[in-house]
Amino acid sequence: MSELTTVGRQREWSPALVFGAAAGVGALVAVAAGVYGGVHDAASEPTTQWFFTSTLHFKAWMTTVAVLLAIGQLLGGMWMFGKLPFGPAPSWVGPGHRIAGSLALLVSLPVAYHCLWSLGFNPDPGGARRFWHSVLGCLFYGTFATKVLAVRSHRMPGWALPVVGGVLVTILVLIWLTSSLWFFRTVGLEF
Amino acid sequence: MLRRIANGFEAIVAVVFLVVVILLFTNKPTSIPSTAQGAAVDAYGLPLANAADGSAAPAGPDGAAIFKQRCASCHGADGGGSVGPQLNEGRMGEKYPDVADQIAVVTNGRGEMPNFGSRLTPEEIAAVVEYTRTVLAGG
Repeated sequence: MSELTTVGRQREWSPALVFGAAAGVGALVAVAAGVYGGVHDAASEPTTQWFFTSTLHFKAWMTTVAVLLAIGQLLGGMWMFGKLPFGPAPSWVGPGHRIAGSLALLVSLPVAYHCLWSLGFNPDPGGARRFWHSVLGCLFYGTFATKVLAVRSHRMPGWALPVVGGVLVTILVLIWLTSSLWFFRTVGLEF
Repeated sequence: MLRRIANGFEAIVAVVFLVVVILLFTNKPTSIPSTAQGAAVDAYGLPLANAADGSAAPAGPDGAAIFKQRCASCHGADGGGSVGPQLNEGRMGEKYPDVADQIAVVTNGRGEMPNFGSRLTPEEIAAVVEYTRTVLAGG
């Protein structure tokens, strides 16, 4: 009996290995997005603009909404981990955190669609803003995939979820700095 | 209750994510119309000769349509400028007295301007450049 238990434990993945596998999946997602953006023949066409002046206006504001939601998510996550001086998080913070994260992903999708389908990946490091924005955009979805796996798995190291969540917010802020902020500084705060 | 809403919302977002991925692979760019829409063409898409006088029907890429599809989102619908610089009111003729320089920028890109050499044919680039130097210039 004790031998069976020992064998069972030996087959169980260590938390670090589970995290490594999740990070590997995230890396694959990021690389897949980059490869698509590089190989796909960019359409160079506007897509969705809804009530905004142009697709670029739409993208700049949707990215801003995603960043604001992500900052709300960060605060919610910190509250759940007891890092805010408000005492234990109420029961609504957990689902609210999930809804905000889903909303952030939702508003990012039409933006990413235009980036990948219409503009493609810019491999030229000489065009610094567009190059780094391309890299960060791919990393965002890879990190998002890792975070989803980290949330779903109960065998991750304790530090995995807050670290991946923090990296995700950081990447999104950097994406905003290399796109929306640039757009607002170039065009102005237009809708 | 809130947990159920979160579950349902996550499911919806997952479906939207899948739809976007499918669109990435299935959505094709809009084809650029020719200036001679409806003109008779042969099996190779080349204009047929006019039966009356033997001259070929004028056909070529529509500069206005290309501008609307590929340029207007950055340069504005009227070429007045937005993220990209102003193109109308004769700005292109002033900036690029030699049309070849403007064609080179559109073909190879420069700074924030992406290159269109791999996305448009030389004829399409020439047509849209001509459009910015004539119609948009008010000429």
